[in-house]
Amino acid sequence: MTPEKTPGKTIVQKVSGLDPVTLEVIRNSLPAISHEMSVDLQRTSYNMMIYEVQDYCTALLDTEGGLISQNIGGVSHFVADLGVVIKDGVRRYGVEGFFPGDVLLHNHQATAGQHLNNMVLYTPVFHREKLVAFAVVRAHWVDVGGLSTGFSAAGAYDPWSEGLQFDQVKIYEKDVPDEKMIRFVRDNIRYPDAAMGDMRSQLAACRLGERRFVELLDRYGPDVVQRAIVQLFAETEARCRAAVEKLPDGVYEASTYLDGRGGGAGYDIHAKVTVSGGDMTIDLSGCSPQREGGYNGRTYAAAYIAYKALTAPLDPLNEGAFSGLKVIIPEGNMMMARFPAMMSAWSGALPTVVDTIWRAFAEAIPDRIPAAHSGSLGATFSFSGNDPKSGRGFVAMSIESGGWGAWPDRDGQDASMSVCQGDVRNAPIETIELKTPVMVIERRLRQDSGGAGQYRGGLGVVTHARALTRGRWNANSGAGGRITCPPWGLWNGHEGKIARTLTKAAGETEFSKPASVAMVGDPGSEMIYETAGGGGWGDPLKRDPERVLRDVREGYISADAAREEYGVVLTTDGNAVDLAATRARRTQPQLQGAQ
Amino acid sequence: MDRQGGLSVAVDIGGTFTDLVAFDQTTGQVNQSKSLTTPAELSQGVWDCLDKAGIAPKDADSIVHGSTVAINIAIEEKGAETALVVTRGTRDVYKIGRQNRPEAYNFSFRRPTPLVPRSRTFEADERLSAGGEVLRPLRTEDIEEIIEAVRASGAQAVAVCFLHSYADPAHEAEVGARLRAALPDVYVTLSHEIVREYREYERTSTTVMNAYIGPRSKEYVGQIEDRLIGDGFTGRFMIMQSSGGVMSPDTAKMLPVAMMESGPVGGVIAAAEVGRRLGFNNVIAFDMGGTTAKTSLIEAGEVSIAQGYHIGGEASGHPVMFPVVDIVEVGAGGGSIAWIDEFGALKLGPQSAGSVPGPICYRRGGTEPTVTDANVVLGRIGATSFLGGEMPLDAEGATAGVAGRLGGPLAMSLPRAAHGVLEIAIAKMSLAVRGVSVERGYDPREFAMLATGGAGPVHAVAIARDLHIPTVIIPNLPAHFSALGMLMSDVRQDYVRTYYRPLLQADFAELSAIYDELAAVGEKTLDAAGVVPALRSYQVQFDLRYVGQEFALQVPVALDDVRRSSVEAVRAKFDEIHNRRFGHAAVDEPLELVNIRVIAVGERPKISFPDARATADEARVGSRPIHLDGTDTPIECAVYRRERLSAGAEVRGPCVIEEYASTTVLFEGDVMTVAATGEMIIQVGQQ
Repeated sequence: MTPEKTPGKTIVQKVSGLDPVTLEVIRNSLPAISHEMSVDLQRTSYNMMIYEVQDYCTALLDTEGGLISQNIGGVSHFVADLGVVIKDGVRRYGVEGFFPGDVLLHNHQATAGQHLNNMVLYTPVFHREKLVAFAVVRAHWVDVGGLSTGFSAAGAYDPWSEGLQFDQVKIYEKDVPDEKMIRFVRDNIRYPDAAMGDMRSQLAACRLGERRFVELLDRYGPDVVQRAIVQLFAETEARCRAAVEKLPDGVYEASTYLDGRGGGAGYDIHAKVTVSGGDMTIDLSGCSPQREGGYNGRTYAAAYIAYKALTAPLDPLNEGAFSGLKVIIPEGNMMMARFPAMMSAWSGALPTVVDTIWRAFAEAIPDRIPAAHSGSLGATFSFSGNDPKSGRGFVAMSIESGGWGAWPDRDGQDASMSVCQGDVRNAPIETIELKTPVMVIERRLRQDSGGAGQYRGGLGVVTHARALTRGRWNANSGAGGRITCPPWGLWNGHEGKIARTLTKAAGETEFSKPASVAMVGDPGSEMIYETAGGGGWGDPLKRDPERVLRDVREGYISADAAREEYGVVLTTDGNAVDLAATRARRTQPQLQGAQ
Repeated sequence: MDRQGGLSVAVDIGGTFTDLVAFDQTTGQVNQSKSLTTPAELSQGVWDCLDKAGIAPKDADSIVHGSTVAINIAIEEKGAETALVVTRGTRDVYKIGRQNRPEAYNFSFRRPTPLVPRSRTFEADERLSAGGEVLRPLRTEDIEEIIEAVRASGAQAVAVCFLHSYADPAHEAEVGARLRAALPDVYVTLSHEIVREYREYERTSTTVMNAYIGPRSKEYVGQIEDRLIGDGFTGRFMIMQSSGGVMSPDTAKMLPVAMMESGPVGGVIAAAEVGRRLGFNNVIAFDMGGTTAKTSLIEAGEVSIAQGYHIGGEASGHPVMFPVVDIVEVGAGGGSIAWIDEFGALKLGPQSAGSVPGPICYRRGGTEPTVTDANVVLGRIGATSFLGGEMPLDAEGATAGVAGRLGGPLAMSLPRAAHGVLEIAIAKMSLAVRGVSVERGYDPREFAMLATGGAGPVHAVAIARDLHIPTVIIPNLPAHFSALGMLMSDVRQDYVRTYYRPLLQADFAELSAIYDELAAVGEKTLDAAGVVPALRSYQVQFDLRYVGQEFALQVPVALDDVRRSSVEAVRAKFDEIHNRRFGHAAVDEPLELVNIRVIAVGERPKISFPDARATADEARVGSRPIHLDGTDTPIECAVYRRERLSAGAEVRGPCVIEEYASTTVLFEGDVMTVAATGEMIIQVGQQ
């Protein structure tokens, strides 16, 4: 480790020549546009993946694919990922090949690099008859055809069995919808009403973005806005570099792994981070190559998320946010998979990769790095079928998150969405039961799931549901490959409990491990989803016994765990710490050795 | 009931000041007073203001009161030790919440801290289906157990929220009745008494919040009532609500969560009423104080209501599912500090100098240049005429601050730097005004902006120009406007019932019956508030959405259309609102009904301002050089005293019009006319 540097004051070269007032006004106006597009989309969308899970992003990009502004809030792994789609579109059609009123759809994995449900819809923005930008909305459609509904694409074996590929398809040309194409899409996906409704909402949000951007250009003139954007990119970059300068120079590495899917070999996750002045390089070459199964994608998201969190987490997103970062992911890596590779679970590995990048920093900045969080995208509680009452298809769905790792100064957060999911929300029990023939029997915190430590890992969640009609359960635990590599502790903190699912067929009395990740369930069949807890920070024997007592009284940990993991013995009534017994127990060699 | 022709008093306790406005209907006389808020003993502010205004409580016929007491208890976390009773299996719903982290990249994000610990949360072994069918009955012995657990926990308040109690509240009601009988000293809140709407976490959070602030809020309201009675007050005492209506003290004691956002709301109600009287039914209310600016939209005379919000901030706050006047707030006030960040960018706020130390020009120790300082530098606020000359401002200090902290480092001239601060402030406030108008499908050109607060009139015309708003109204008493609004508020109570069904399958006879039931509850509330039958009315709204959507729109529905099962009329209204709000409507898509809402309104006698009197004094009191256009050359502008302008008087910009607690700035091309009742109506010139 190199000695600490004094961060130098970074002065942005004034590239624009604009006065600071105009610049500040435009700085505030650009994020407002992508934010307004986001609100519009969320409020009018048809599927809970958008209105509840916020599995979408809204953005303005320039004609070279530079990110002018992007919404912040929902799913964070969409961070700055649209440039490649726009560049591809411009390469295909040429700047002259776009016309006012064109609407394009794209999800092709060779470029879009994500699971096919993430449908990019974009429109060219014209100002005074000149193409000036693109308004873009990427959103998770409930279904895109293929072998099964939903994003785990159960049973899929190649990209085509995952669903329909749209490769820069103009679904409207000069305001004229391609009715044949729309009809074709409708006929080849499940729940076409929802998808077409979402497409309408995506289009409306793009139209809104177009209007707002044109208003801004009208007001300040395209030249001023253009110069402001360039300046804002430079300033954002400088801000991020300044944050990196505060980190000690050095090369930091960490290795973790994910379990193989379907019993195959595991995936290595390796992060090598180099900090040199204001430059950061995140090298993910050490992660496994692409292979069969859905853990493939083409994405910088893990590196971007980790970098953003360390630099300017609350600042708006634009192209400058990652100019100070170099990401190395070679072609053929699981995160830079060549077509044709399955991508149904493209984002599944990302929370672990982010955690691993963070772990690499643990020695360099021990006061800032927490233990691992649940490390997956949570458990997707899902049950689908046909509702005999309404005669319509239904999907009951909720994302149930896990615990976060403990911090150097406090316990981890219970039941919080992963690093990739931001403002994603679970579905209320009452919403699920109002809309679908499912009963949620219980939703509770999972006792003892948080890793023990001087600061305790956050708790996972237990969700227990019963089918009221025949349908299909998702029985995937949502562990996301984190079974044999549970959420780790730091500095002698213990690991969190791993995720699991349990199932019970109608009429049976005992729960057991599900036989497959998707199961047909009869009325009365039940499923329990248990999400992982976060890792602990520091030696649990150093945890204040009063806090251990409080955890027992609140039911966050059991009295057994207090004794076995924390070495804290309570009085027989459980109302106080038995100080003498605790002192004795905490010095026992076998407990000391248990670490 | 309220007597016509009596003395109506409103007292608004805000964060810094307590304001009183009194109106004597017989003489037409308006009285106002202001005192410093007394946080340790909030209600004292009521008497301080009454004393200052020379009003004896016994002479008042009605007193309306708004207070920060409820929100303070919540924000400072000084509420009651609260217990929570929930359906078996949902003990942790309140702690788990929605699991979201709105600050997506902020890994240190903290979710809201529950107001009830898990160890004081108890489960009742009962269960309803979403349709309200009893799946597991509530047994007497279980109720006994719960009562014992609550008693043993030492809780001073208890919240009860069962799954699907919106569909059938019988279980909640039973537990509630037994708790109230067994534990008379414990404050009991039942979710269905507050809100009968689905989404258990938000409903639980609302119920817990009510219980948590309940005992102290109840005590507060009771104390004021007692003291007023002790002082011989025999009129009607009412409490201001977040929804813009007033309620009886008895309702407030049961529903303190309804009084959380009273102050700013009063201003919006007054904006609607003043606008209506002047013939403007579409109004954007705009209030700018020391720390923030707030704005809200009034369309066709109706204030916008949101059906939920967060206490303690959107990201980490507690959700409250209760109607509130929909106000967008932005961190730009007179005290907002302008600064240069380490990258040379000029920034405004969110730090505010507040009232202490305040702007540099206040001479109270402030050293950072603020919006107010910029206005002084530019000559827009008169250094010698502030507060009628009672508080001479330090123009030299302001100049040194703006020049030294901003102008020098940015290599900008003094006027340019000061003007830059205002431009950024105005752009920020314009974004907020856009948030309530353009972003919701309303065209600002069809609205008048009504500006209040000490700093509102200074900036209003500039914002109006920015957004092409054609008219700006500066009402009487712009700095006392919240209290004035409280005098103008009607009695109001909101009721909601979840009724989830495709619109085409909705049983309108059943909806009619729900309406009758909710209206009957409203009737009782209006009885208790002493509203005479002729002044009562009931509004109906359906929460509707396309089948498959989650967010519903509140669609006003005529009762006749409910009675006549007029699905088409309901549908047409929804399509119209959806189209305006989102720019598209799918007229062939089926709709579903989610909730039915009934709003009971009891009209209160309206105060009316006397005609503005002509004065013999010359209104133009002088002139001074003012920077209005961002250049280094000031323009010699006329200065007027508002008090001396009589009805019908016309003043053309560029000029400033000063009054006791505010200043209005007019630019070239603006024309101000004084309305018969004294409001200043400004036709905004073209840019």
